[in-house]
Amino acid sequence: MIVAGVDAGAAAAKAAILDSERRILGRGIARTGADVVRAAERAFRAALEAAGLQEWEIGVTTATGRGRFRVTFAAAQATEIACHARGARFRYPATRTVVDIGGQDTKAIRVAPDGSVADFAMNDACAAGTGRFLEAAASVLGVRLDEMGSLSLRSREPVHIADACAVFVESELLDHLARGRRVEDLLRGAHRAVAGRVAVLVRGIGAEPEATLTGGVSADAGMVAAIEERLGMKMNAGPDGPFAGAVGAALLALEKTGNHVRTRD
Amino acid sequence: MTALKRLMADWYRDLSEGEGPVVYLPVGGNVAELPRACGFRVFFPEVNALQCALRKVAGEFILRAEEQGYSPDVCGYVKSDMGLAASGGSGPFGTIPKPDILLCTTSGCSTTLKWFEALAGIHEAPLFVLDVPSVRDGAADPHALRYVVRQVEELASVLEKIGRRKPSRDRLAETLERSRQAEDLWMEILDSARAKPSPFDAFFEAVFFMAPITVLRGTPECVEYYRAAREEVRGRVAEPERRRIVVDGPPPWPHFRAFRDLFKRWGARCVASTYVRVGGDWDEGFRHDPSRPFESMAEFAARCYTNRSLPARRAILEREIRRFDADALVIHSVRSCRPYSVGQACLRVRDVPTLFLESDLADPRHFNEGEMRTRVDAFFEVAR
Repeated sequence: MIVAGVDAGAAAAKAAILDSERRILGRGIARTGADVVRAAERAFRAALEAAGLQEWEIGVTTATGRGRFRVTFAAAQATEIACHARGARFRYPATRTVVDIGGQDTKAIRVAPDGSVADFAMNDACAAGTGRFLEAAASVLGVRLDEMGSLSLRSREPVHIADACAVFVESELLDHLARGRRVEDLLRGAHRAVAGRVAVLVRGIGAEPEATLTGGVSADAGMVAAIEERLGMKMNAGPDGPFAGAVGAALLALEKTGNHVRTRD
Repeated sequence: MTALKRLMADWYRDLSEGEGPVVYLPVGGNVAELPRACGFRVFFPEVNALQCALRKVAGEFILRAEEQGYSPDVCGYVKSDMGLAASGGSGPFGTIPKPDILLCTTSGCSTTLKWFEALAGIHEAPLFVLDVPSVRDGAADPHALRYVVRQVEELASVLEKIGRRKPSRDRLAETLERSRQAEDLWMEILDSARAKPSPFDAFFEAVFFMAPITVLRGTPECVEYYRAAREEVRGRVAEPERRRIVVDGPPPWPHFRAFRDLFKRWGARCVASTYVRVGGDWDEGFRHDPSRPFESMAEFAARCYTNRSLPARRAILEREIRRFDADALVIHSVRSCRPYSVGQACLRVRDVPTLFLESDLADPRHFNEGEMRTRVDAFFEVAR
């Protein structure tokens, strides 16, 4: 049976389609904007197109993410914690710690050797230390999200950013710009501020290697470097990171169909 | 619930229409029996702020207080009450009477002292501060108790002067005896949660059941309420439960139903909670005692939950988890209540799955249902 996972996230919706052999057949992504339902549908349709499939060919769909209860075509829902843990282990099977930095949430998840979630911690209700903070910083500095990483890595004199608050960052960055600080140094400072927040969560759950970074921000090389520096720990990261939640949701859908024997990895 | 609503309505009616001097008291570790025996009508600003939060009017009062310069970080109860005062003192329950005296006990919450100072200024009424030393590990030191007893004695003469009525020993003994009876009955109800499945939810229900012991302790109506409530709980057929949880912290009153439903969905029954004991620590055997009137009131003031150290509070949680055979701990940390929330994350109990949640007890702005649900669902998914 062919299954799908849809991650209706705060910043972007992602979808992944898997066959019963756990092969990824297609993936899709769409900006969430103000309409969670339509974004989830667009991501799902993009994944179908990439897989060359029709909607009726999908057996079960599981939804995750903040908007999971609005994904009307999903048969079941699961939290991002369960899905990112599965998605991270799918790509990096030895993963014991998952850091998911999304548009609005940051989560640290400790995974037991058998693949089950042992503990997790999340940022509190505000968006400090999440993708939203980095978006705000990029907007003030006039850089695109996909060039933040390479610019940040070029920094020679990183600027200390007091807090990873998505609201205060604007005035703080403007202040630094007025004093002549360079954009790449400010980006590095922003990445470090997020890494500081992430470290609090990760240390709280007791991180163990290997660690894997997932979520929309995991594609940002500057963020990966800042977290590695802060935690003193190598992070698995790559372009698949943003899809980890959707892949995890699809794996859960596969477990539901009974076609696949759960291997807990 | 109807009986409870009637009791609360009567309490408010007596305050706005009744006769006799009025005293303002905090909830934690108060000595309500003494002013009650002296003929005072007893008002609790915290309970009123709670009612405003529950009825979703606190948000407006809080904004009103912030307009006056109260910071977003100040306790939501305080701001709700200050906003109410700035709006002429008329809330959803009628007009709150001005106090003839404010009596603040320091063991429940340190912010209350500043709150009562502000209220004393607004109403130009005297403020009596009952200074209660910290008991840390729970055993009240005899010197500390003597220190409190001396102040309660002094308070008696102050109340006599203001109320123009001498506190008779018999009347005080009678009041204390009624407190003791209500405390026995309340503990019996809370203990019923030891049954499996539990017929009673010791948090989502108990936070309402605790209202009479909080505002009417020492009155015949209070004893009557708990006698009837005990019979009602005894006659219940318990609904099935899937999880047995212990809860630390107050509920988010403006979003009470949404919060309750997050747990209900998972079949979680709360079997013990610390919030229902913020008034006093009856579950550790304390009872008001007519034969030791001042001493037992002093002891009550000292042994209040937030007057304890974090290790002592963790020991209470550990004991409750064992005694009620719970399988998970839920810590709800509220921004407003520093005596409750500072260090609360350190109360995790070894080998017991613990869920840590943050919002507020009065400020509706600090609750995000989607984010809260992700945490609760993930917790029960993991701990399944």
